[in-house]
Amino acid sequence: MKRAVLALLLALATVSPASAHKLKVFATVEGQTVRGYAFFIGGGRPEGSPWVAKEAAGTVIASGTTDAEGRFAFALPAAIATDLTVTVDTQEAHVASATLAATRLAGAPSLVPPAAAPAAGAADVAVDDARLAALIAGAVQKEIEPMMEQLEAMDARLRYTDILSGVFLIIGLAGIGLWMRGRRR
Amino acid sequence: MAHIPDGLLSVPVLLCGAGVAAAGVGLGLRRLDDRLIPRAGILAAAVFVGSLVSIPVGPSSVHVLLSGLMGLMLGTATFPAVLVILLLQTLLFGFGGLTTLGVNTVNIALPGVLFALLLGPAIRRTGHAATRAALAGLVGALSVAGTGGLVALSLAVSSSDYTPVAKVLMATYVPLMIGEAFVTATIVTFLARVQPDALRPATS
Repeated sequence: MKRAVLALLLALATVSPASAHKLKVFATVEGQTVRGYAFFIGGGRPEGSPWVAKEAAGTVIASGTTDAEGRFAFALPAAIATDLTVTVDTQEAHVASATLAATRLAGAPSLVPPAAAPAAGAADVAVDDARLAALIAGAVQKEIEPMMEQLEAMDARLRYTDILSGVFLIIGLAGIGLWMRGRRR
Repeated sequence: MAHIPDGLLSVPVLLCGAGVAAAGVGLGLRRLDDRLIPRAGILAAAVFVGSLVSIPVGPSSVHVLLSGLMGLMLGTATFPAVLVILLLQTLLFGFGGLTTLGVNTVNIALPGVLFALLLGPAIRRTGHAATRAALAGLVGALSVAGTGGLVALSLAVSSSDYTPVAKVLMATYVPLMIGEAFVTATIVTFLARVQPDALRPATS
């Protein structure tokens, strides 16, 4: 029995904590297209799995199959005012979906039209805007990079503690079982 | 693939699964004695850790279930062990769901228990190591196939939207069946050599 516990602890120590089993869908709006991908927590992308995008009422807007990286993309129809749900089905009992809120869908295009500035300065404004956008994107990227790394590290640690607590919970349950049997005698 | 999440199954399927699981767990709990409790705990902990390591296969990712091995070592006590494993995976990692706990327990534990009941006596009786390994591998592979079949059945009965496609199921389950067969055969052969008693769930 002692040897078995030792073997178990060794197995625990060598197991890579960042591996598991659940399908997730990530989707985002870029201008007039919706892009995203499906992934398994712990690695792996569903390849060639059908996906379907529906509005709140259930009307199908777009559908297709994911590429080798589990990605999907489709153009947003002009008139859409409800939430949008993208569902990926691997056809072997893994189904997951992501919902894009209506505000996110409407917000993207409405930002662009106000650039109806005075006709003369239109070109200058456009160039300035582009430079500003690039600067902001660079600054944001620099700021969040360490944060993303920290998130990754925390995720890995959390998973490890979760696994450990699960194992000890099981051992505790076995102990409770033995104690109760001993008391009954 | 064995963890069906919340919201995919219909109520009758959920209730049916919960009922069978409760019966199985009740049966298993009565069989748990001083000899089986530590064994069930250690096996459950090992399977809990082992099933967190998943390998990407084609459109999916798979992990070992080891239900055949649990069936051989624990008998009907596999039901409570699997229930605990699934409950922890649901609460800690969000795999599967609380409402589908019963169905998932049955889907994973039942094939293991049944095939171990069928082939277990032959495994324990045989003195031939190769035969024992082959039979143990068969239990492992058949248990995985049984789980795949039950998962597909529970989804098919519930709704036609997410019914697994046979071709995809084959592509993901066949590699898993082969892997599971090897793992089960290796462990059973080892146990039969060093501690044959570990393969007998019942005190006889």
